[in-house]
Order: sequence, then structure tokens, then C-alpha cells
Amino acid sequence: MDNDQIKAASNPEKWQKLSPIAVLYFIASGIKVAANNAIYLLPAVAISYSTVQENPQIWLPIVVGVLCLIGISSWLQYAFYSFRLINETVEIRSGVFSKTHVDLPFARIQNVTIEIPLYYRLTDTCCLQLDTAGSTKQEAKIVALPVDFAETLKKSILNKVQTENDSSQGKIANQQATHEQSPLNNENEELLNQRSLKDLILHGITNNRVWIIIGALAPFYDDVARYLASIAQQLGFDYQHFFDTQSQAAWQLGLAFLSLILLATLSVTLLSVLGSIVLFYDYKLAKTTDRYIRRSGLLTKQEVSMKRSRLQVIALKQDWLDVLLGRINLELKQNSSGGQNSNDLQADTNKILVPSVTQQEAESIVKDALPNNKLYETGFHSISKRFILRQVLWLIPFNLLISAITFSNSGIFGILLTQLASGLIVFLIYCRWKRWGYADDEEYIYIRKGLFGVDFYSFPKYKVQQTQFIQSRMMRKRNLATISIVMASGALTIPFINQLDGKRLLSSSLFTVSELNRSWM
Amino acid sequence: MTYQVLETSALPDPLEIDFEPLNIRYRPMAISTIWMFSIVFMLIMTLTRWQPFIALPTDLLAAYPLAVGVVLFISILISLYLYIAIPCKQYCLTETNLHFACGVIFRRIYSQPILRIQHVELKRGPIERAFKLASLQVFSAGGSIHTFEIPGLSLHDAQKIRQFILDHKGVRTNG
Repeated sequence: MDNDQIKAASNPEKWQKLSPIAVLYFIASGIKVAANNAIYLLPAVAISYSTVQENPQIWLPIVVGVLCLIGISSWLQYAFYSFRLINETVEIRSGVFSKTHVDLPFARIQNVTIEIPLYYRLTDTCCLQLDTAGSTKQEAKIVALPVDFAETLKKSILNKVQTENDSSQGKIANQQATHEQSPLNNENEELLNQRSLKDLILHGITNNRVWIIIGALAPFYDDVARYLASIAQQLGFDYQHFFDTQSQAAWQLGLAFLSLILLATLSVTLLSVLGSIVLFYDYKLAKTTDRYIRRSGLLTKQEVSMKRSRLQVIALKQDWLDVLLGRINLELKQNSSGGQNSNDLQADTNKILVPSVTQQEAESIVKDALPNNKLYETGFHSISKRFILRQVLWLIPFNLLISAITFSNSGIFGILLTQLASGLIVFLIYCRWKRWGYADDEEYIYIRKGLFGVDFYSFPKYKVQQTQFIQSRMMRKRNLATISIVMASGALTIPFINQLDGKRLLSSSLFTVSELNRSWM
Repeated sequence: MTYQVLETSALPDPLEIDFEPLNIRYRPMAISTIWMFSIVFMLIMTLTRWQPFIALPTDLLAAYPLAVGVVLFISILISLYLYIAIPCKQYCLTETNLHFACGVIFRRIYSQPILRIQHVELKRGPIERAFKLASLQVFSAGGSIHTFEIPGLSLHDAQKIRQFILDHKGVRTNG
């Protein structure tokens, strides 16, 4: 098999089959599909429940049948899948009944992602995912390629893209030099950042990464719940009795709830730490002359590379726990209008997340990604206090309505409680106002916002896609305006700022765009 | 990479743009579209009310005049709103930017640098064709929710703007 692959790699212009290990990938995705579709079988199961109860062995042929079906279809998919590289184009033929033929010229490929799932570790193979800009349909995944071959292919695709974009002689010479070196070495790569296990544990505590575990467990929710309940019963923990309002005093009940909440928080945090480690284990952020490369993953190793010129916005996000611990989640965002993979953060190639970095590390990455950026030196202007007034105005009718309801239910005490809650909301609005801030210089715009935590955004003016200037009649009287700046990675809004400042920010952005005439990609 | 310091006073003021109104036929078109829909809606209700084939429940029969009244009332409200709102919709094409303003209470001014336009579309529905109007849609990398649209242009104007954008040097070189 290895010989075949080496032969294939040396003569890529012929149609090639995948390595037989690819069947594993098709089986894994087949099982995933079957698990996701199992829910549609529930009605059938419900109807035949009594029959099944009488002879439980009836399940055996069904399970065997489904497995056989998955096995056969996986093998067929494998048998009908072939690809070739010709004239700097990747061509892929696949499909058993409905055939698809994908033509993907190197020059149009935006992102190359290398993924090594757990079951490919032993055979040293990987999946190569090729994304084009925008359309979701025009993407291709070649599974079970030898890692070396995938790396070579990646290099030649990226170099091709680069030579297409830059016509300057010096750069081409540079890339030819790159070409000649061994593809195995990560030449020209400079390690920018690395995350230790401790960082990842911190990240798991401060950020909710539970979803990755929850997502993986989704088909088994019921079983897990039943299992937990049965364990609890075996241990003599009668939860029905525990939460029975008639046999328990109020404080006991409160205590029970409190301990339950604590237990839940603890287990969620543990799961989150686990999720963080699964996602970001062995995290490395490297840069080459024109790319950022992120490598991480415990089970599935992933490598995402992003062209540096595609960087649109840098976001530094801190939750309240992050503020206490002095950690920052740094995001390098690129074009996201394609919107694919948005539900799967690990496969999300629209941004590179550097989890829980320290202030100095964040500063050095920002300085590297956006030269001359003054995010750390600049002073922020605050937004108008009318922002608070505006939000409170929304609150008043709700307050009156809820006061009336609570008054009719529990008298003065109800009103008191409502006012207390409203006070809290006003305090939150105040916190929000306090965090809002904006600044700019010749090149960049800086935005600060948050509630308990604080987020910073910075982006170059020349990459602005569209601007919006929003003003109500009341705001116009007070010389205020809300501005919104649309970037290729999404819109950013600054509310209730001085209208002159708003105009200045927008017009200088528009002016820079047309004056510099630089590509945003 | 050089950045010249931009003099704020030299910059165009996004609020002092010489906006042009939309085509004069746009307001009657928008209002008559509303009425066409509401008339069709009322017609369906009336036909169902008076058809001889199925006996309808009495509650439904009693609700008929009310329903017609509600549809009429909503159509009048929308027409009034459009009557006021459409003159607030204005646009402006400059050497470098495309601006569009709208909104009665909240006034929004959208500005689209022509250099950042990825492609342009002229959209003409059957009613727009009858009124010899067209909508100009401009797409940037900002994503589909930020599609810049100027409705109610005369076909001639829309084609002229489209050609201007396509001939713009930056758009041609940047693709």
C-alpha cells in the first residue's frame, strides 16, 4: 500500500485511488450519519416496543444489518473515489449512484486544512481539506493521504496561490527557493505562540468548551441520564424524596438545590477543561512569510493556515474570569461571508483562536499581525451618557408592567423586588456604558466593549467594506450618532458617539479605502 | 507601505452629501404593489365566503367583515407609511463611493466604497418592469446581510450606475 502511494505521489497526473485505510474514514462518517438519523427510527421502535421486549435478540440482526450496510456503502464510496492532479488543478471523482466531479484550480483555493483523526495516527495518513472562497459546495476533501504527500501538495498549492497574487519578481524568486527545500522541514516557519497544558486548563475554566463533549454525546443523552439515575438509586439517593416539598423544610430544599448547582457547575467545568484539552492540545501558532498556521488537537490533529493579508480584524476577548486571571482569548478573523462550518469551531477556518494568552503574548501577536498598531498605547474616548438613558427608556414600560403583575400577586413586596431587579439592570447598563470606548489613528480603528469582561477590536481602515451612519431625530438634536463599520469578517458598531467623531471615523475610512487602493484580501 | 496623514477638514462629510431622490414612479409603484396584494387577499376571502360548495362554520362567516376590515386598515397604514417614507430614501453616486439614505425616524446613511464592490445586479420584478423601474444590488465581501440595495431607479439610471461601477478602474483591477 505504501509503495502504491509513493508511486502515486511521484506520478500525480494519473487517476489515483485512495489508500485502503480511507475506508475507515467513510465508515466513521457513515456511523455518524446513522447515529444522527437514528432519531427517525424512534416511532418504529415505539410501535414495536412490546415485540422487542419479548424477544430482545431481534436487535442483533438489525444492528448487524445496519453495520453491514455501512460497511458495504463505505467500501463502495472508497471504490468509486479517485482523484488526480493535473495542470495545477485538483480533480476529484466520487459518488456511487450520483456522480460528482470536482475541478479545483490551485489558484482558487483559499484555505488548506490538514486533519489527522485518531484512527489515522498509526498509519501516518491525514485528510486534506481544500476550501474556496464563498461557496460551500465547491470544497473538496481528500482522505487518507500520506502526511508527507499532503504536505507537499499543500506547499505547491499555497505557492501557486501566492505566485498568482504577487507579480513582483523578488517574491517569486523567494518562493522558488522555498520550493527547492525539503517539504518535510517546516522551513521559514517561526513559532509565534505555544500553549501549555496549564494554559489549556485555565482556558477550560474560563471559557465554556463543554459543547464539544456535549456534541459528541448527543445521541446518548437518554442513556446517560438513565444510567446516572440508576447509579443514584443504587447509592440509596432518592432524588424524588430529596426534592419533595412536603417532607423537607424550605432551607433543606434550598441547600439541596445549592449543592446540586455546585455539583453541576463543578462537573461542567471539568468537562469544559476536558473539551479545551481535546481542542487545543499541543497548540502551536506559527508564521511564515505570508501565513499564520495553527496546529492543535488531542484526538484529531488539525492544521489551519491563513494568509496574513486576509486578516481583517483582531479581537482580544476577556470574560470576567479572564480579567481576574489576566488572560486573553485572541482571535485573528478573516473573511467569513461564506459562513460555512460555523457550528463546528474546530473546523472553523474563518478565524484563528489563540486560547488564554497572557498580556505580553497578546501584545506581541498583535504587533506582529498589525504593524504600527497602537492598541496598547492609545487612550479610548467614552461614548455619550445618553446611551444609558436610551436603554433605561426601554426598561420603563417593562418595569411598570411587571410591577403591576407582581403587585397584584404579592403586594408591596412584589413591587420592591421588581425595583430591585430594575436597579440591577440599570447597574448592568452602566457597566456596559463604562466599557464602551473607541479610538483611531491614521491606520487603525480601535473599539473597546464589554460588560463584566472586556473585548478589544482593532482593524485597518483600508479593509473597510461598507459604512453605516445611523441617527434618530433625538440623536441629531444632541449631535450624537451610531456608526457601524462592515468588515469582511462581520460588522462592528459603536453606539452614541459624538456625530463629528462618527463622521470623521467613517469619512477617513472611506477616504483611506479609495486613496490607498489596497486589496483587502 | 506609506500612510499620509489625512486632513479631517479635507474629507467629504457623509452628512453633507448631495442626495438625489429616487425615481418619481417609485412611490406609486410601491403603494400600488401593496394594494394589489391586499385586493388579491380580500378577493380570496370573498370567494371563499360566497362559494356554494362547502358550508363554512358560522364563526368564520361572522369573522368575514372583520377580516376584510383589518386587511383594508393595514393596507391604508402601510400606504401612508410608504407615502412618508419613500421621499426619505435617497441616493448619491460620487467618484469613489455609493451612498444610500433612508429612514423616517432613524435615518441611516449607507456608504459603499466602489473599490470594495464585488459584483452588481439589476433586479426587475414584473411590477417594476411595468413601471420601467429597476433595483440596483451591490455586493461586497461584507456578507449577504450587508447587501447594498437602491430600489426605484429608472432603468436608464440603474444601467448607467451599473456601467459606471463596472468601468471603475479599481473594480476592474481588483476583480
